[in-house]
Amino acid sequence: MQHRFDAIVVGAGPAGASTAYNLAKAGFNVLMIERGRKPGSKNMFGGRVYKAPVEKAFDDLEKAPIHRWVVKERISMVYDDEALTIEYDGKGRHSFTTYLTDLSSWMADKAVSAGAKLVTEVVVDKLLVEDGWVKGIVSGDEKLYADVVIDCEGVNRLVLERSGFVDKLRPENVALGFKEVLKLSKEDVNKFFGLEDDEGLAWVFMGEYTDGLPGGGFLYTNKDSVSLGLVIYLGHAVKELEKHVYDLIERVRLSRIFNKYFRDARVMEYSAHMIPADVKALRPKRLVYNGLVIAGDAGGFLLNLGYTYRGVDFAAYTGYLAAKAVSEASGDYSQESLSRYEKYVDDSFVGRDLKKFSGVHDLYENRRLFKEYPMLAINLMRRLFNLEYESTKVKDAFNESRKGVIGLTTLLKDLWGVYRKL
Amino acid sequence: MSEQVKLKKIRLEDMLNNNVWDVDPRPHITLDTSKCRDCEYKPCIRLCPVGCYVMHGDDVLFSYEGCVECGTCRVVCPEEAITWEYPRSGRGIHFRFS
Repeated sequence: MQHRFDAIVVGAGPAGASTAYNLAKAGFNVLMIERGRKPGSKNMFGGRVYKAPVEKAFDDLEKAPIHRWVVKERISMVYDDEALTIEYDGKGRHSFTTYLTDLSSWMADKAVSAGAKLVTEVVVDKLLVEDGWVKGIVSGDEKLYADVVIDCEGVNRLVLERSGFVDKLRPENVALGFKEVLKLSKEDVNKFFGLEDDEGLAWVFMGEYTDGLPGGGFLYTNKDSVSLGLVIYLGHAVKELEKHVYDLIERVRLSRIFNKYFRDARVMEYSAHMIPADVKALRPKRLVYNGLVIAGDAGGFLLNLGYTYRGVDFAAYTGYLAAKAVSEASGDYSQESLSRYEKYVDDSFVGRDLKKFSGVHDLYENRRLFKEYPMLAINLMRRLFNLEYESTKVKDAFNESRKGVIGLTTLLKDLWGVYRKL
Repeated sequence: MSEQVKLKKIRLEDMLNNNVWDVDPRPHITLDTSKCRDCEYKPCIRLCPVGCYVMHGDDVLFSYEGCVECGTCRVVCPEEAITWEYPRSGRGIHFRFS
């Protein structure tokens, strides 16, 4: 039996649901194929979504399952169970926390309400390629045909790999994100983090919790829970990580700095997901082929600046651009015609951000950021604040903290690198 | 927050008891353990976040039931000893609060 659709979207995550929603609104007969029991059940993220791009992709965002609006940002350097923290206590409500499982369901529901069809519990094995054109998808013994396929399968892009459109993922291309979701009362979340009503906190930290390896940690406040997790870049971890990653996250939860929040907490879930890390290496040679468009994590669209992670909004927005390009192609889904999508992406904030910050990934190769600098920061604080009789001059405290840890020329070089790339 | 409750490490098995799976009787991952013996670093042992890979003497023991389908093992395995599929028919991990 031959089924035929105007468009097939692989994956009902933020990119896929956004594509399907916007195509359905444009009158397309679109099918979303999701491998999970329901949209979102295979999705996981750190915890925060930037509003503006998602609002562009979806109407009625105010009705989405939003937990808290982030008003407080914390960045910490951690060494020897002590932290130096910068806190920005702002008025802005530019990003929100949520469970991605719920947000993905909401997005897919929007697509279905707009007329998209959704099948769940179906794994797409590969793309159906005939005579240099993507003609549909293959799932088990079944083939489904469409005029155009939009691949939104996520970072673990087995479909694109198997169909020969991208190379196999390499450890240095990706990071592992994993987190514990810990139940607290809403009152305790507010009390512990100095929040009111639906205000939220986003806290990132770097230093000893990743054992000196590139990566970092995060804590996001949900309505009545906290997401506590770590990100480890896999490139170095393959050879250098000595502990089990689970021991690393447990060490965070039990640490002097964090354990006070979790004395009455109950674990709700423990989850993990890969994250695009080397965005340049992950970008497929082309984002479009005859009959194919690639959006979301599958295209490597993620920005990690160390103090912000942006994946969900990039996914929703590239899905929106994919739908725009497909509907403007007026039935001509050749690579040449679809190449308008590549232009839309590169001209959008996603393309501009990824270009502007293309050097940031190299910063992650500088191991001193994860070990020596947190050590220097804490040693400096100790000399300035842990006083008994005599006070220390700042310059002396700094030089004493630096000596034997980081040479002055190295320090200046590193500062220049961070200044230039960030 | 004032009273001092000493938090204890949660065993990974107990941590995972909070998750929901619908385990497929057919494994979605297979491991050719003969290739593991020559593997110098065995990164799967430390990097699988749910501990699907454990050492037993000189051998790598593998179980797929607790897999959260992150794909890390297939990426970090230097020996290409892992065949990796997504579980069929909606089986496998079912996240609810992530």
